[in-house]
Amino acid sequence: MKQRPELLAPAGNLEKLKMAIHYGADAVYIGGQQFGLRSRAGNFSYDEMREGVDFAHARGAKVYVAANMVTHEGDIEGAGDFFRTLRDIGIDAVIVSDPAMIETCLTEAEGLPVHLSTQASATNYETLRFWKEEGLERVVLAREVSMDEIVQMKQEVDVEIETFVHGAMCISYSGRCTLSNHMTLRDANRGGCAQSCRWKYGFFEEGNHLTEEMVARDEEPFSMSSVDLSMVRHIPDLVDAGVDSLKVEGRMKSIHYVATVCNVYRQVIDAYCEDPENFVFDPAWEEEIWKAAQRELASGFYYGIPTEKEQLFGKPRSIPQYAFAARVIAYDPSSGMATLEQRNHFSTGEEVEFFGPGFVRFSQIIETIEDVDGQQLESANQAMMTIRVKVEKPVATDYIMRKRKGVPMRVLA
Amino acid sequence: MMIQLVTTAQSVEQAEALIKAGTDRLYIGNSRFGLRQKGDWTNDAVREVTQLAHRYGKEVTVAVNNLMHNDHIQELPDYLQMLKAIGVDDVTAGDPGAIRLIRQAKIPYWYDAQTLVTSAKQIQFWGKREAIGAVVAREVTLEELVLIQQQIGLPVEVQVYGPTCIHHSKRPLVTNYFNELGRPSEEAKQREFYMSEPADAASRYPIYEDENGTHIFSEDLTLMGQLPTLVKNGLHTWKLDGWHAGEQFVEIVQLFTIARANLLNGQFDRIEMEHRLRELQPEAFRLGTGLLLRKPEEIK
Repeated sequence: MKQRPELLAPAGNLEKLKMAIHYGADAVYIGGQQFGLRSRAGNFSYDEMREGVDFAHARGAKVYVAANMVTHEGDIEGAGDFFRTLRDIGIDAVIVSDPAMIETCLTEAEGLPVHLSTQASATNYETLRFWKEEGLERVVLAREVSMDEIVQMKQEVDVEIETFVHGAMCISYSGRCTLSNHMTLRDANRGGCAQSCRWKYGFFEEGNHLTEEMVARDEEPFSMSSVDLSMVRHIPDLVDAGVDSLKVEGRMKSIHYVATVCNVYRQVIDAYCEDPENFVFDPAWEEEIWKAAQRELASGFYYGIPTEKEQLFGKPRSIPQYAFAARVIAYDPSSGMATLEQRNHFSTGEEVEFFGPGFVRFSQIIETIEDVDGQQLESANQAMMTIRVKVEKPVATDYIMRKRKGVPMRVLA
Repeated sequence: MMIQLVTTAQSVEQAEALIKAGTDRLYIGNSRFGLRQKGDWTNDAVREVTQLAHRYGKEVTVAVNNLMHNDHIQELPDYLQMLKAIGVDDVTAGDPGAIRLIRQAKIPYWYDAQTLVTSAKQIQFWGKREAIGAVVAREVTLEELVLIQQQIGLPVEVQVYGPTCIHHSKRPLVTNYFNELGRPSEEAKQREFYMSEPADAASRYPIYEDENGTHIFSEDLTLMGQLPTLVKNGLHTWKLDGWHAGEQFVEIVQLFTIARANLLNGQFDRIEMEHRLRELQPEAFRLGTGLLLRKPEEIK
């Protein structure tokens, strides 16, 4: 038996919060309506936070709020009230990077634990010691820290360490990129990042007092776009290093993504921690992770400095995309009929896959679709419509039905 | 009223010329502990330039503002002891772990966490932890700079000339690109490269690699035309970065020295000074004001 690290998942809204916990997250992080870095992600009102906290705490899970904006003059107004309200709602911690915000929280909302955001680029044990002495409970490391460095940090300082295990990455040290500010007047450190690193740039070198084009028009333009992070194959290393919390990126990502990723990491963490000696990596876990992938996946800086292979050049490799087709809202074991809430178009004859918490999954062909009145339908073509389909194996509420995107895999009779 | 000109320096020789041109404080360092320093600042060179500066009654600030990993932190106490023994005046630092060690070594420091220094309250946080001043992010507008300086007793450094870093990646992005193109990757660190924005073919953002990864600079910023506003609002620490001004840098510093003198005796002619600066500016690089003259509410 090994001590299990926390599995920490993103939750862009209440539904995602519930699904993340349902699919195995020990904690979720959300955004409030102020002070966050995801101005376009679904952000929680105080009432939604209350409901989320009640739901999470009833299941032994925690809720953190990201308030990691780098504030300019005037931005910090109201932060004390904000933090006190979160504390009184029962939020378990806030994730903050700006020292002024940290100070405000520590002095004006006593009792609300503070985690240092990855935006602050904590990259050494002395920095961990500094923040521990200031009263922080946890530090989210910069994504540039290696596995060996984490091991050393854990030996040097007794403070909780959280690291990213999955999701999209800044190509820069987080917080140390203002391309978006200068090129689009959108402040990357206040929620406005235009993802300028993923653009295609001209590339020049100096010659005869002027800069001259170095790369021909038909060559690959310069870009800085990173592939995504996935540590699914390296969970034992993170557990052995003593990492306290494993974080999944993506408050803007879909329910399908959150459920799939949580489901897999839950399996891997439990399998390793329950019986480390006999742990064997199941290729099905990785296969499942790819179903929620939007870019290629790599292990970031954990085992070395990423090369061009971990950047997106040229045409992206085609990764099969899966869509969230429906959510199970009821199941009748006697008839084998599942009641579904439609999320994406699907038709009879299509191959779909059902999956649920605990890494249950199976594929089948949709034989029939009927509406609530028992009328047979060719397809489920209205958003959120309620339909019933026959399922080949038992399902339960909150199982997800996914299908491959693009041309439906129609099986010809 | 004391207006301080802080300038980068690439060699002891250039440092002496800069001091003669009006520099009050030299900003130097190596790329092990500092960020984006040009020049080969060995310990001996730091000692030599410090002695030189002190002979002229000028100061030396050493960059200790790198993002430190464990191995940097292990070496840092020895480096700080060396700087203390040489007698450098102060350092810049932004890594809280490095700041902890700098305070233990009892060396004064300017808080410099680059893009993350954006408000008076942040600077006050570090002021309570013995910072003697702050290098404010170049993404902070002049209007905000004035507000910040009004609220704090510590000096705020404003960049009045040169490029500023707008991206720092730990990855070797130029080497990776060369590898992708199948070109000799050893050239990635030797030559000078620039990138241009997709929507602005005339833009030139210097990009280069060193042991700390990849750095991208903005266009050359200038606040020559706004120097009266700086003076009026107590923004008296002026930074000039000679990253690619080349041999003209000494003359550019000289021009700002003249501008300072003219301002103090009421003779500042904005049109003339801006014109003279444009004459000195290397032709490949535009002079601009970056985000400095934007209204704060324009930036979303």
